[in-house]
Amino acid sequence: MNRVLVVEDEQHLAEGLRFNLDAEGYQVTVVETGEGALELLTEEPREFDLMVLDVMLPGKDGFTVMSELRAAGQFVPTLMLTARGHPEDVLKGFAAGADDYLTKPFDLAILIARIRGLLRRRRWLETSIAPPATSVAEPDAVPELGPELAAESATAADRFIFGDKSVEFDALELRVREQVFPLTLMEANVLRYLIQHEGKPVSRKQMLEEVWGLHVDTDTRPIDNFIVRLRRYVEDDPTNPRHLLTVRGVGYRFVASPPKE
Amino acid sequence: MITAGRRKSIAFFIALGAGLILVTLLLYVGPVLLNWRRGILLFLGAVLALLIIAGMVLNTIFLVREIRRNAQHDAFINAVTHELKTPVASIRLYLETLQTRAVDDSKRKEFYRIMLEDSERLLGTIEQVLRTGRVGHAQRPLNLQPIGLGPVVEDCLNRARTLYHVEDGAIEYRPGPALEIMGDAEEVRAAVSNLIDNAVKYSSSDMKIIVETAPGAGKFALVRVIDRGAGIPKAELKQIFKRFYRVPGPMSTRVKGTGLGLYIVRSVAQRHGGRAWAESEGPGRGSTFVLQLPIAK
Repeated sequence: MNRVLVVEDEQHLAEGLRFNLDAEGYQVTVVETGEGALELLTEEPREFDLMVLDVMLPGKDGFTVMSELRAAGQFVPTLMLTARGHPEDVLKGFAAGADDYLTKPFDLAILIARIRGLLRRRRWLETSIAPPATSVAEPDAVPELGPELAAESATAADRFIFGDKSVEFDALELRVREQVFPLTLMEANVLRYLIQHEGKPVSRKQMLEEVWGLHVDTDTRPIDNFIVRLRRYVEDDPTNPRHLLTVRGVGYRFVASPPKE
Repeated sequence: MITAGRRKSIAFFIALGAGLILVTLLLYVGPVLLNWRRGILLFLGAVLALLIIAGMVLNTIFLVREIRRNAQHDAFINAVTHELKTPVASIRLYLETLQTRAVDDSKRKEFYRIMLEDSERLLGTIEQVLRTGRVGHAQRPLNLQPIGLGPVVEDCLNRARTLYHVEDGAIEYRPGPALEIMGDAEEVRAAVSNLIDNAVKYSSSDMKIIVETAPGAGKFALVRVIDRGAGIPKAELKQIFKRFYRVPGPMSTRVKGTGLGLYIVRSVAQRHGGRAWAESEGPGRGSTFVLQLPIAK
């Protein structure tokens, strides 16, 4: 079931949205403030599949919330909802990192259609990690296959084994002996990128550009957070990494079979 | 960011004005001091220079004022856009829901109630804007007649109690001696309602509001609305009655409003020959609003 987070301080609108998204079969959570949304989304990154975000919020406004989430490495698909429909407002929303934008009053059918569209794209993205060559890129190429077909073609061989561990990219899982760790989409993408460049140092900037598709001077700290998290899964002793090595002043390097001590 | 830009442009114009005045002074006064013998001609020149300087000062003042007014106007347009579009968006959402989905009876009743509240809110905003236009015109005649102050205040209290679903006792009425004022019933009702609305809006969850009527100094009656809410900084006590003005800070983003309510209160008071003012010990310490209206002879 898809989990949707609605960030809206107008109670009437929030309740109306909850009723409709419920009826669509989504699991809906409503928060009234941007601070509340930030808290929910940065603590449990895989908690939500979609966010509907109002702009005029008490405290931090929607634009601020959006850019803070993106800077923190939270890429939940987001539809912004606002009374202000000036082109500069719309552009500001997209610049902050929104995926879609709708002005109030909106048409219910269109809102639902856009939400479905965003969720569909998210699914395509997840299945399209499968073919190693394309990794994150070109989600547009998949629709011709249809999501089911794409998923099927992905199942066969998309696995990387190193030592007693294996990464199942299509299932977003990391198996360490008997244990299974679920991976987020972005964790899987980061890991795939490092594996593809096995043995070579990869800079943080390079990863931001290739994995996130960001070209601005974004803060590179989110990457360090990803690596810290990945080490917890991949390494037997996260404080003494042997697979995900830090290359001082550059970035990171993945080593599939480290030399025996 | 917008306000920072505006502040910068205001500072720029003030600096430009001051700079020009300085240059003018140097250019005019310098030669006068150097050639003091040429008497009258130079004296005339100096007078002219003073006139020009006065013009520049005025020009600067008006420019700065205009920029400030523009900023408030923008904020007002934003607030009204929000206040108009939000209830419409809500009503439309519920109508479309009823149209496209199977909704059981109890939900359906709840939706009707929500839509009615939204239309009420919409109407409130529209009336506020229209009233601002009306009270702004000094020539528009008042329908003055003796009216009982108590009944008008009670009307407003009942309206607020049902509108905001307040708990019993949260809004307390302390009537003074029966007073008849000379006023336009509709306008007085609007002014008192605005004061009560504000008290409710700026109160925290443990709301306690006291509304009292009392005879005031001279031939005046007073309506006091006392709350234990957000309070007002000393420097803002006069500003808040200006049109479109809202106290800057987190409170004004949390509490939605157009910046018209107190302007209407003050205008209504002045049209009746009375006054309206605010008292507060500062932020977080509640506030008292007083509306002063003439007693009927």
